[in-house]
Amino acid sequence: MAINIYGQQLDSRLLIGSALYPSPQVMKEAILASGSQVVTLSLKRQNPSEKSGQQIWHYLQEIVQQVDGHLLPNTAGCKTAKEAVTLAKMSREIFQTDWLKLEVIGDDYNLQPDPIELLSAAEQLIDDGFKVLPYCTDDLVICQRLYDLGCEVIMPWASPIGTGKGLMNPYNLETIRLRLPDATLILDAGIGKPSDACLAMEMGYDGILLNSAVALADNPVLMAKAFSQALTAGEQGYIAGIMEQRQTAHPSTPTLDTPFWLQQTS
Amino acid sequence: MNIHINGNAYALPHENHISVSSALTLHFVEAQQSTFAVALNGNFVGKDDYDSTIVNNGDSLDVLLPIQGG
Repeated sequence: MAINIYGQQLDSRLLIGSALYPSPQVMKEAILASGSQVVTLSLKRQNPSEKSGQQIWHYLQEIVQQVDGHLLPNTAGCKTAKEAVTLAKMSREIFQTDWLKLEVIGDDYNLQPDPIELLSAAEQLIDDGFKVLPYCTDDLVICQRLYDLGCEVIMPWASPIGTGKGLMNPYNLETIRLRLPDATLILDAGIGKPSDACLAMEMGYDGILLNSAVALADNPVLMAKAFSQALTAGEQGYIAGIMEQRQTAHPSTPTLDTPFWLQQTS
Repeated sequence: MNIHINGNAYALPHENHISVSSALTLHFVEAQQSTFAVALNGNFVGKDDYDSTIVNNGDSLDVLLPIQGG
């Protein structure tokens, strides 16, 4: 089934980053292997004599065209709403998209989003016509406020960026799913293993955004395939309906006519 | 006047102000061949406004290019 991102139906529920790969060629192969149709990228100061930025940009354009996908610029590095809004406008001009992964970081140690600045930036950007995909913590009320502002997609973290610690607070994430049934929920950041992604999809999450888990794998291309399959497994498990846990054991094999039942021993 | 572009200082002793377009020539050799966006003192400047937007003494330009991101 497709994921709905601001009215766009995409076959792949995996959104993937373009950073940290051992080479541009590996990045391309991994992104293609993942099946993702959404690729994140950013803007930075660069020395104009360096051609690497332009080369990567052309490379990413080719990949996105090849998969009939979308670019998703981020506002990485921003610490205030004003910075994020300015960077968003710069990204829109360059990338010709109103999609935006909104990041406003409040703490340098764990790169935790600043909820106050995030809400302020989201409100300004939505008013300006952006389709905002906010990266936030797993705080239910912040997610609710972002949704109320008009963010159709909410992206709570699994754990801090780049840690690979997986789902730190499954209860929080399940509660967000329960309380925001109509939002498109994408788990973003902290995913380490394919089973982390599978678990989120089994909770009913709509998608996963990751980067480091694939880019830093010994074999990024194989890991990209593994994540693609993990998302499918988790999604199908959720749709199929997972059995309720029980406190006591129940035999799987029918007990009627059990051999030797009540047989007298001499 | 003195301005900064991406944190680098540029001294322009014979100018009082210049346009963003002129300032970009200090930074780029082949600006028209690059994909970039500009902010002046932290505020976005669209491409259509490069000629009409003035850079004054002490101002700071950011010229950003695409890069990989997560």
